[in-house]
Amino acid sequence: MPEKKRKTPKLDELEKGAWPSFVKEIKTAAEKNAMAEDLLGQLERSYEEKIGHWKHGGIVGVLGYGGGVIGRYSDLPEEFPNVSHFHTMRINQPAGWFYTSDVLRKLCDIWEKHGSGLTNVHGSTGDLVFLGTRTEELEPTFKELTDLGFDLGGSGSDVRTPSCCCGMARCEWACYDTMALTYFLTMHYQDELHRPAFPYKWKFKMSGCPNDCVAAIARSDMSIIGTWRDDIRVDNAAVTEYAKSGMNIERDVVGNCPAKCMEWDGKEIKIDNKACVKCMHCINAMPKALAPGKDRGACILIGAKAPIVEGALLSSVLIPFIKLEPPYAELIDLVDRIHEVWSENGKNRERVGEFIQRVGMGNFLEAIGVEPIPEMVAHPRENPYVFYEEFFEEESEENPKP
Amino acid sequence: MPEVQPKQQRKTDIGPPHYEKFLPPIIKENYGRWKYHEILKPGVMVTVSESGARLYTVRAASPRLLAIDKIRAYADLADKYSNGYLRFTSRNNVEFLLSDESKVDPLIAELGALGHPVGGMANSISSIVHTQGWVHCHSAATDASGVVKSVMDELVDYFTEMKLPGKLRIALACCLNMCGAVHCSDIAILGIHRRPPRVERDKLKAMCEIPSVVSACPTAAVRPATIDGVPSVEVIEERCMFCANCYTVCPAMKLNDPLNDGVSIWVGGKVSNARTEPMFSKLAIPFLPNNPPRWPEVTEAVRNLVEVWAKNARKYERMGEWINRIGWPRFFELTGIPFQKEHIDDFKHAGLTFKRSVHLTH
Amino acid sequence: MAEQASVQEVADAMYKMIKDSMGQKKWKATDLTKAVNELFGERCDKNIAKSAIRDLIESGKCVYTYFGGSFIEIPHKEGAEN
Repeated sequence: MPEKKRKTPKLDELEKGAWPSFVKEIKTAAEKNAMAEDLLGQLERSYEEKIGHWKHGGIVGVLGYGGGVIGRYSDLPEEFPNVSHFHTMRINQPAGWFYTSDVLRKLCDIWEKHGSGLTNVHGSTGDLVFLGTRTEELEPTFKELTDLGFDLGGSGSDVRTPSCCCGMARCEWACYDTMALTYFLTMHYQDELHRPAFPYKWKFKMSGCPNDCVAAIARSDMSIIGTWRDDIRVDNAAVTEYAKSGMNIERDVVGNCPAKCMEWDGKEIKIDNKACVKCMHCINAMPKALAPGKDRGACILIGAKAPIVEGALLSSVLIPFIKLEPPYAELIDLVDRIHEVWSENGKNRERVGEFIQRVGMGNFLEAIGVEPIPEMVAHPRENPYVFYEEFFEEESEENPKP
Repeated sequence: MPEVQPKQQRKTDIGPPHYEKFLPPIIKENYGRWKYHEILKPGVMVTVSESGARLYTVRAASPRLLAIDKIRAYADLADKYSNGYLRFTSRNNVEFLLSDESKVDPLIAELGALGHPVGGMANSISSIVHTQGWVHCHSAATDASGVVKSVMDELVDYFTEMKLPGKLRIALACCLNMCGAVHCSDIAILGIHRRPPRVERDKLKAMCEIPSVVSACPTAAVRPATIDGVPSVEVIEERCMFCANCYTVCPAMKLNDPLNDGVSIWVGGKVSNARTEPMFSKLAIPFLPNNPPRWPEVTEAVRNLVEVWAKNARKYERMGEWINRIGWPRFFELTGIPFQKEHIDDFKHAGLTFKRSVHLTH
Repeated sequence: MAEQASVQEVADAMYKMIKDSMGQKKWKATDLTKAVNELFGERCDKNIAKSAIRDLIESGKCVYTYFGGSFIEIPHKEGAEN
């Protein structure tokens, strides 16, 4: 028990207001936990000085793993000795972030015993984050976690913890089983997730439809986004209901169609499905009346990342449509070929998107054995500096006509 | 050294528990058979199965940083109202999964009493996706949780009501590493450094390898140099764009600066494919000061952006779609944000961002 | 075809490389794999290299470290540790 309450006038300001307060959370933990109490003190100091007080650690972890623990040390250890070590543990979340009250309580009990009692539910990549503990607590925490059936997630140059939307568990738009694929990939790549062997991180994110609720296209090296190939299913009676309830279908639905492939005559929606680009807008607007087709699968895109090192990238189309069903052999084969080429030729801290920029998408496709197709580009190149590889040679004795 | 279990007793590579263990019966029974959903009121959604089964979801705000006491409180609520089943969303909201509609309102009332407003669905602002900031990050140029709390205190009505033209997604990253997809958000709040790294020579010698530090710099601003006979590095200041990539590989290259660190604001990104293709966010405000504990300049700037968009956008139009329709000159005029040199790109392929036509409004 | 190198033999070679270049160069898993492939030629393949790395880590002779990317190093006191 901390002996006396610290004064934190700046942070106290953040207990006010209608939005849930993280300061209240830290203070609640601080009533029982000296680490949380010192965190409060150090954070107040940051608020006074407008500067962070953490140092990055690069060595701590559990035996055998190269990921899952982020080392952190205070740069004010004399003043805040209880956060002199304040390491984070990333715990691989259940796919879709579903829990029972029972398992959450057991996770809390572990963290009450071994850490600060503070968490992130969840971290940016998707892991359940245990925020702040000492080096000597890592192994005991890991043991209790594995006894409960949980494992650490990724960090460093490894397969990062895959994550996905809730998919078929609660969404009628899921074009493939995102949670099943996430679980499968997580289990299939356990070694790559725990033992960093890549040039840099590799993220898989699974979204069930083009609404992309987990932002796969913006932040995953391989973005697997559900889509369909056949016709949008239409219930015209339900469309009429939307119209009756006051929806301006002409302006708000048809008028927003990017492919201009819809017509509404007041009674029926007509869709030229050959021209539809599967953007989801009309389906989003009228979920009771319209639904994705039945020939469902996913589009695989490659290469998204945040700015560090060479600038941000969105993923781009690699495979326009693939059926995704167990045992996912075609997908795994593709991923393994990409990993091999990138591992062999990627530079330190080079994400696959940057690697593709450096070597050229054409060369990358050749190396992984995928044929170039027009779906992969917004438009063909505009510059004439082509690295031609094929050319004719004059016939000669060394080069006879075939 | 910590005590390690004997190798043969250690469980490793077991992966996460299978999600099926945590799915309520109604979801197991209707998995992949959902027909449609309907937002009944802010933060409450019913998903209806082909079988006729109705699953009620109640979504509440969370600060992401939770004490175990709060998680236990969530667990108690789940026991009381949703047979112990709950989940979390990609934007850190908590969701309770109910089969009994009559329990929805009592649950909302209890969540309210607990200080967790219900909302964040459809045409609203959902919770802000954010990073660690001063709470846990070594490279933070601003705090994360405090800025988010301040902004959401200001905008909470847009969370609990559905009065916006379309969805609005706000994200915050406390440095250019951008953990989380802030670079494709309607409004992105980004912590920035504005001064080059200060080389701590003693530490550099002890902790870092010079070739790694040099090669970490995307603009070749860091180069090897022998200083007082000791191998070290020097920074060509005019080449530095304050990305902190060198600091990530070498802790002796600190960029933190209380006077010059702050926040920039970016607008018009999206990840959804609905209507228009996904887009990056673009720079709206190059610099706002760190002004804890409430960051009034930042909250005011975000409030202004939300209100100007809400007033002028058409139904369904996201921030970026609205700006593309009216054009950037009009955006700067309507928001009252001064346009300045920093808005014009000067990194790779900058020319592609110049206006290359006379399609202008006058 | 030459006889395959043993995992132990490859692990020892890796350990020497790491030790000899401490403070000069940090080794990534891929660098070590390439280096032993060069050293042992066709006597060593990727799977042997992978097993050798795993042996080094699980025996505690080496640890994974992270400095903007993941490396394999001989355990030492952390620079940032208090």
